[in-house]
Amino acid sequence: MMSESIATIKAADSAPQVKPKRPKPKSMLMLAEQSAALFENARLAKERGEKVGWSASIFPQEIAETLGLNVLYPENHAAGIAARHQADPFLQECEGPMGYSNDLCAYAKLNLAYTSVLNNESAIELPDGGKLVKPDFLLLTNNICNQLTKWYENLARQLQIPIFFIDTCYNPWDYVTESRVRYVRAQIDELIKNLCEFTNKKWDDEHFKEVMKISQRNSFLWERANNLLDRKPAPLSGFELFNYMSSMVCNRGKTSSTAILKQLNSEIEQHIADGTSTFPVAEQFRISWDGIACWPYLSHNLRTLKKYGINMVASSYGKAWAIEYDDLDGMARAYCFASTNGDNASTMIERRLEALKRFGCEGTIYHVNRSCKVMDCQMMEVQRQLAKAAGIPFTSFDGDQADYRNYSEAQFETRIQGLVEVMQQNKEDL
Amino acid sequence: MYTLGIDIGSTTSKAVILENGKKIVAHVVVPLGTGTVGPVRALAEIFEQSGISHEQIAYTIATGYGRLICAEADEQSSELSCHAKGIHLLLPQADTVIDIGGQDAKALKLSPLGRLLAFQMNDKCAAGTGRFLDVMARVLNVPIEQLGPLSAASKQPAKISNTCTVFAESEVISQLSAQVPLADIAAGIHNSVAKRVAGMALRLGHPVCLAMSGGVALNSGVVQAMEKEMGCPILVDPLCQSAGAIGAAVLAYEKLLQAKERR
Amino acid sequence: MADLHTNIESLKQACQNPRAQLDKYLAEGKKVIGCFEPYTPEELVHASGMIPLGLWGGQTDLKLVKSYLPPFACPIMQANLELGLNGTYQGLSGVIIPAICDTLRCMTQNWRFGVPDIPMIPIVYPQNRASEASTDYLISEYENVLVMLATITGQMMTEKALCRTIEIYNEHNAVMREFASLAVKHLDIITPAIRHAIMKSALFFEKSEHTAIVKEINESLNALPDYKFVGKKVILTGITGEPATFLEILAKNKLAVVGDDLAQESRQFRTDIPISGGGGLKRLALQWKNRTCCSLIHELGRPRGSLLSELCQQTQADGVINCLMKFCDPEEYDQPWLEADLKKAGYPCLTVEIDPLNTSFEQLHTRIQTFAEML
Repeated sequence: MMSESIATIKAADSAPQVKPKRPKPKSMLMLAEQSAALFENARLAKERGEKVGWSASIFPQEIAETLGLNVLYPENHAAGIAARHQADPFLQECEGPMGYSNDLCAYAKLNLAYTSVLNNESAIELPDGGKLVKPDFLLLTNNICNQLTKWYENLARQLQIPIFFIDTCYNPWDYVTESRVRYVRAQIDELIKNLCEFTNKKWDDEHFKEVMKISQRNSFLWERANNLLDRKPAPLSGFELFNYMSSMVCNRGKTSSTAILKQLNSEIEQHIADGTSTFPVAEQFRISWDGIACWPYLSHNLRTLKKYGINMVASSYGKAWAIEYDDLDGMARAYCFASTNGDNASTMIERRLEALKRFGCEGTIYHVNRSCKVMDCQMMEVQRQLAKAAGIPFTSFDGDQADYRNYSEAQFETRIQGLVEVMQQNKEDL
Repeated sequence: MYTLGIDIGSTTSKAVILENGKKIVAHVVVPLGTGTVGPVRALAEIFEQSGISHEQIAYTIATGYGRLICAEADEQSSELSCHAKGIHLLLPQADTVIDIGGQDAKALKLSPLGRLLAFQMNDKCAAGTGRFLDVMARVLNVPIEQLGPLSAASKQPAKISNTCTVFAESEVISQLSAQVPLADIAAGIHNSVAKRVAGMALRLGHPVCLAMSGGVALNSGVVQAMEKEMGCPILVDPLCQSAGAIGAAVLAYEKLLQAKERR
Repeated sequence: MADLHTNIESLKQACQNPRAQLDKYLAEGKKVIGCFEPYTPEELVHASGMIPLGLWGGQTDLKLVKSYLPPFACPIMQANLELGLNGTYQGLSGVIIPAICDTLRCMTQNWRFGVPDIPMIPIVYPQNRASEASTDYLISEYENVLVMLATITGQMMTEKALCRTIEIYNEHNAVMREFASLAVKHLDIITPAIRHAIMKSALFFEKSEHTAIVKEINESLNALPDYKFVGKKVILTGITGEPATFLEILAKNKLAVVGDDLAQESRQFRTDIPISGGGGLKRLALQWKNRTCCSLIHELGRPRGSLLSELCQQTQADGVINCLMKFCDPEEYDQPWLEADLKKAGYPCLTVEIDPLNTSFEQLHTRIQTFAEML
């Protein structure tokens, strides 16, 4: 079992923060410690001369975990920078001297500029002091999107480091073909062999089984916590769940996540028992949020929603890590269908419909995330079909997961107000 | 030997007569651009002002947006090459020129002899161009030439994040409603333009000696904001708006010399 | 043998009016399958007795597509979907869509629901070509495509037919490559616009028909004396070098296209299908492994810059014009690297935005004119 040394340093907030106006719950404090430890352990590993990696967010973390490798996650890190309003110098650097187009995903833009500093090619100040340490290898899957592949290709060339790649092949149909499973499984086997050689680690099947168990337990607890919001009124302000994504993405195979998620579940259950909620006002409307959070404008989003008593009780992330399997073949299949890889329109619609029904949603808000073509380019068709099937209204707004320049407060307010008017009407018609 | 340079832009028409490719004998700026009577008027005024006749002009080059339909010209050349030559005449020590025009923004890298080595352009988006400033000046109800002096009084520049001019306009309006001082908003607008343009310009690398040209260079607020973004002082020549026309006249002279050598 | 001018005209015509080509084949009783850019297994269509026609967008007003795609999807996708939605593609028996970029992934779904009367056949190419298992996986994808094609023709393709098709496609590649090298010696006739038309027209013909015409063009060119071109020579790189106005601006500024690394042009012809190594499907899969220097195919080291430098050297080009397709993120990731590599190698590089839906060219003209003045 890989022992975690939780460094006793000041818990620096690395996860994007949704700030509730009350003392932070214990689960959030544990989360902050866990995040800090993740970065610190990587830093210490580097000092010891061990190889440290960067990973795509839906790469099979079980592999790195089993091998005892320290791995960091650029996407999460970029989200944190964006949420703390520190993105500007990186965006300017990337689009300016580095010569990249404004059109690219803002996580990539941020990270490419950050990397440039780590590589002594840019001089901008790192607000976090460089805690996303320079990697010696990259772990890549394309089940989220294809931009990741190009981004990592550039990192590999810039830093002259290898990429360990699992091509997970998009699924245009509602299932994973056996041909994909075989291909992905073969890649996993090769990857494990190559990664072991590169990092001088040994693959331990028993340990892998343990990590699988822990990962699935955590996925179960995560889904369980999300599902607790189906109560009326919801015991939590839904946006707070976005915070815990750092556990699910960066630490899914660790027992520290189990502890955090257990704590989270019990906190939510306590609210249910007490009839309280972290949602600051009376819950008037329950909505689902489609897409990732608009990190640079979380507070504006929340303020606006609060004004109308709108609570986000469902999102597409509740089931995002429902990655269940018993062995490597199963793992191949599961990761092949994970994330947007399994988001051909019909699967997407089915999943969302289920969520809308389960959580009693009265409307949906779509975040048209300028950084995310893989979601935006089929969103309209999905919206139409879903609205028809579910019979509930929706609205969309222009935003970005990290580029603060792609948002208009006036637009958001107008659109939410419009949605409220329709939801109100629907309520009265009942 | 006299040569004539004409720069027909989107919002202004400029003409310059050079003597022996070096001395500016006359220059004219008419606030009407391509498709209007601007170019014709500029020509009429320059001949009148200089006392030189049309026949005395040895060679004429037109540049700018409207260069392709200038009947007077013997030849036409892109405004990028002409701006480079023009600024080199006015400020020979400059190795980088940033020109923020009405419709677009350009950054030029020059060789020590004033030849154009590389360039970057923003020509698709209104943000970072004179148009952005026009829109904002209207929202603030301030004459555009007052924006510079107004922003000088700013204590705390407002933040305008949006790169979309339409969205940025709405940002400015909400700041006005929130009683943010005009000076601060003006400064914020200048910062926004400077950020956008500097980002593009830095693709050419850090300048050794930076100059600005084009109409917007006369806005002291933008120049100050640019100095901050680029991290270096910026030279602005009072004739910078005519840089394109000056460069066209220089180029005309060079072409004449080349032709003479060939004979 | 038709004369040079007639042959060139017929290829130009096909580019200007691809619909007429579609109608021609339909009138001959053939079935036609639309093949989305950049890579599809059109050989399977051909070997199944149908005609593959390339779908690379076009110049059209956008109306219906606005209900499917946001403004920041690339112009080729916008146009393809608009033309599908508004019925311009009626007559096609199906379309093959490769999910090779994020927007194309979504296109499979948009087409599936938006244009249901033209069946959508998806294919997902493997990107981890270093893995041996990628070949078997790709063969499976081909077999899926074949099953769907069989529902259209009513029968399965034969191995014999596929082998014959492979020969035809390899021959076509060779003829096109020969044209590319001959074109450099006859830049008076092979202007940028004509070079483009000859290259692009391959999308709108049954391959052996196109081979025959280009063969005659090559013969005609060979019979002429070399032309000494006075002006500057450039290489085009990117997805497409369009529309026609862009090419006219090149010519106006005395720039000749002496080579290309365009997805629509040379990238289609520079990698042959291996003539040995297994059955037809296997060899097609091996061809995929051999493709190189394309922004849409995963490859390490960013080799495009070196390819372009070599190409400049071979053709004695003076510079490179990077035709950056608007909103094409794979190309945008490549951009700074190829610009830097070319700069290091001493070749000037100009990046221009390519947007076939754009109707104003003043900005493009300025940039290209300046670049030409700088060379």
